[in-house]
Amino acid sequence: MRADVLVLGAGSAGLAAAVAAAREGARVTVLERHGFAGGMGTASLVHTFCGLYLLGDGPPRLANPGFPAEMAERMLAATGDAGPVKMGRVWVLRQHPVEFVRIADELFRECGVELLYHSEALRAERAGEGWRVEAVCRGQRRILTAKALVDASGDAVLADLLGAAAERTESARLQRPAYVFGVQGVADGEEGLALAGRIVDGVRRGGLPKEALGLHFRSSGRAGEIFGSIDLSGAEEGDYDPLDAGCLSRLEVRGRSVAAAAVDFLRREAAGWAAAYVSHWPVRAGVRESRRWIGRQVLSEAELLAGVRHQDDIALAAWPLESRETTRGPKLRFPDGDRAAGIPLGCLMPRDIEGVFAAGRCLSCDHGAQASLRVMGTCFATGQAAGIAAAGISAGRPVSDTPRRLRELFGPGE
Amino acid sequence: MKDVPTVEEVVAMLREEGIADLGADFAADGNLFEAGMDSMAVMQLIVIAEERFGAVIEPEDAGRENLETPGALARLIGRRMA
Repeated sequence: MRADVLVLGAGSAGLAAAVAAAREGARVTVLERHGFAGGMGTASLVHTFCGLYLLGDGPPRLANPGFPAEMAERMLAATGDAGPVKMGRVWVLRQHPVEFVRIADELFRECGVELLYHSEALRAERAGEGWRVEAVCRGQRRILTAKALVDASGDAVLADLLGAAAERTESARLQRPAYVFGVQGVADGEEGLALAGRIVDGVRRGGLPKEALGLHFRSSGRAGEIFGSIDLSGAEEGDYDPLDAGCLSRLEVRGRSVAAAAVDFLRREAAGWAAAYVSHWPVRAGVRESRRWIGRQVLSEAELLAGVRHQDDIALAAWPLESRETTRGPKLRFPDGDRAAGIPLGCLMPRDIEGVFAAGRCLSCDHGAQASLRVMGTCFATGQAAGIAAAGISAGRPVSDTPRRLRELFGPGE
Repeated sequence: MKDVPTVEEVVAMLREEGIADLGADFAADGNLFEAGMDSMAVMQLIVIAEERFGAVIEPEDAGRENLETPGALARLIGRRMA
């Protein structure tokens, strides 16, 4: 099977890359381990799009034109929400995982993207001018060839398959994983601050596990449905290792155990919670950080905090540095003057390898910068740029022309 | 027994623990929720107030009127110190 662009992973970055490349006229194939797209926003039930809007006072302004703006519009049409909401100093757009899956199906169909769900890449190597990738679905292998590859796997899986330069933050400083689950049956129940007080009291009295301390609930926007979210340490037994199946398995089991204990407790103690039940487990816990590519440029925390722009920027990083190195809640750091930094093309381009692009939370940056760049709104933007750069390979357009092409397609941006 | 905290001590605590993003001249009646404190941060706040001041904040206390400003918070902690 031959493609112009093969995208690994159909999370927010992979979806954007595939759609953008297909709209540039490329034949696109997507390889995805689940039976649906959306990644963190669907499989892990993360139900807000962060990074879509610029920081600062006044009404919300989209940070990146093109695919991120289109997703915001399609999601608003699907949820019926009036617009983004301000949480503290940042604008977020509520999104529903069920709608995200459906929107992605529509986008792929509209653009004629070929889907290989239930599949993972096993091997990747040079083949002439392009690439040869071996994929597997339930033990059945298939050979794919493509002129360009986009690694939107979140975990820089392709860097590992190619033996390319990649980096991992030491376990103790890794951003902790999120565990999000669906709850139904709460009728006009205790919420917000009152519920926060109730949960702390439960932990204090020993009725709830300590991990429940960060637990909070938010309406899904659908009648009778809420989402519970907790950060877990991932260090249930030994160090947190988001690329280790044993560690991830313990994380999933611990997440379910804490969530079930919390809902049981609230059913007994909180007003309006008597008929509450867990309605939905995530397909997987939400890993925020793991392996990253080392590219021609490595965007740094200092650049983000200073709001630095580069000549070859392909997107803006509009989200603050949101550190979750502990389970004690996020620590936000804002750039000088709330000025969004630029993400240069070199962050999508591996060192010394042509025809491969990284997008999403595994692109080339340091640990501090990743705390901003990992969010879905920014992944839409870096995915879009990677897709356009990758489509350029078969169209004979130089990769260095990508920033200009983005401006041509979508206007100058901010 | 510890002294009832001053508003300045409460602001310093909120800043040190990263509960809210407070500027250098954050007022005693400034709104903490507008400065980014959410229900998740409130949980940390309750735990920290107990660790630092021995103040046991009960579920009934967890309302906006007690938590919204550094001043209100200092008074609540004072009332709940054992």
